[in-house]
Amino acid sequence: MNLLYFDPGLGAMIVQAVVAAAAGILLFSKNAMYKIKSFFGLVKEEDSYDSIDIDEQDTETNDKNE
Amino acid sequence: MTKTNNIHEASFRDPSGYMFHDGGTLRRVINPIYFPQYRKLTESGFYKTLINNNLLISHKETSVSEEKIVITPEKIPFIINPYEWCFEQYKQAALLTLKIQKYALSKGFILKDASAYNVTFHKGKPIFIDTLSFDFYEENTPWRAYKQFITHFLGPLVLSKYHGTDVFKMLQTHIDGIPVKLIASLLPSRSKLSSVLYTNIHLLAKMESKHSEDYNVETKITKLSKKAHNNIIDSLFNYIKKLELKEASEWGDYYTKTNYKADAFEKKKELIRQWVLSLNPQKLIDIGGNDGTFVRTVKDKVPFILVTDIDYNAVDNNYRQVKKNNEENILPFVCDILQPAPGIGFNNTERNSLIFRLKEFAPDVTLALALIHHITLSGNVPFEKSAGFFASFSKYLIIEFPTREDSWVESLLIRKREFINHFDFYNETNFEIAYSNYFDILEKQQIENSNRIMYFLKIKNA
Repeated sequence: MNLLYFDPGLGAMIVQAVVAAAAGILLFSKNAMYKIKSFFGLVKEEDSYDSIDIDEQDTETNDKNE
Repeated sequence: MTKTNNIHEASFRDPSGYMFHDGGTLRRVINPIYFPQYRKLTESGFYKTLINNNLLISHKETSVSEEKIVITPEKIPFIINPYEWCFEQYKQAALLTLKIQKYALSKGFILKDASAYNVTFHKGKPIFIDTLSFDFYEENTPWRAYKQFITHFLGPLVLSKYHGTDVFKMLQTHIDGIPVKLIASLLPSRSKLSSVLYTNIHLLAKMESKHSEDYNVETKITKLSKKAHNNIIDSLFNYIKKLELKEASEWGDYYTKTNYKADAFEKKKELIRQWVLSLNPQKLIDIGGNDGTFVRTVKDKVPFILVTDIDYNAVDNNYRQVKKNNEENILPFVCDILQPAPGIGFNNTERNSLIFRLKEFAPDVTLALALIHHITLSGNVPFEKSAGFFASFSKYLIIEFPTREDSWVESLLIRKREFINHFDFYNETNFEIAYSNYFDILEKQQIENSNRIMYFLKIKNA
């Protein structure tokens, strides 16, 4: 099933659990900080990058225009 | 195509399919082993969403049989490789990869590889070009391409933060990304204080060397939930999004440093526009084009423009303008003309050299402004050789010759110290003699109020 045409690295497969745990803590604390900051009105909406999420709504409107 | 077999030279690593040249068209064969994935990706609308969002190159199904499916992707006029990207381009390519991986995961797929070569730049934006990089996601399995993402994207980006963007050139000698151990060893120890860098690089390097001798693959692979998977992607995305270069702020406005007057500058612009437009060119390259100031005078008339410069900051600046103004026909990239990107990988043909790509691209006109004195005096390249170089890919050449009285030429000459006499050949006459071996001089014009002469050249026998 898995097409392993390159070596993914065993260490890399194992380390992901730790990476994910650390990332989880970081994201959780960032979210918490964000909520606190926005509660006090300290959040600046300044983001020149697209968000990580893909807009599927967009897709549907594009389809209609085609 | 001069190739004896028509399979694209870079297309052999993945058994799912391969690219081949069908006359002038590049097509992709999908092998039966990948049929289930391809059908699901197509039928579920997955491809369509990515294509409509300009994240994945579009394709059309050309033929379907039991042995193979052939698809034809939209043509990309010129491929630039990771070691030719500026920081901003590199960063965008990394973010695109994560974005696609996150979306794939939400739809029950996964990126089975995360090579930087899966991304290139098209119509002013990064675009994913490997349509067959997706596989079915299996619950609780870790991301197989994780290490590749680190060696191809996170590593080079983080290293460039500490050591400058020259580290991107390391990708020329490491086609599968910078080894994790090397990345870890090049990072300062304070980078261990960052939880993202500690886990994704230092710990990864440690685990990799710990398990490097497990030849029988006996160690059990950990399970990774989808949530945990998303956490990795999100945290990498957030981290890379915030990455900035230390040296970026040092970039001043190059054109305020020019040694000639504003009216001369405007005249030069006007002359270039006039000469370029007289050719009605489809493809143009500006070598040493800095941040693209001069090509922007003709961008409304030329469908496809390449701009290269040795200076990462200038390319970065150019790319930001392309993004801001939505200039789909301008493609900036980094290139040291004294050492253009070589052919790398298996057979040295997996990623083509810049010269190979330039010849194939065959620009209608080449601009070389304020460049010849650098090539000749800093690079010690004789006129004869640089003329041959330009003649190898350009039909028309617009070249600027700063005379010995020009302050930059003067300064380059003074730096030769006791060898200054070795460069007595640097003058208008010798320049014309050497270039006349390859080109006919169509026009020659001195820019008023400056020590610069503009030449409009046409290749002989063209």
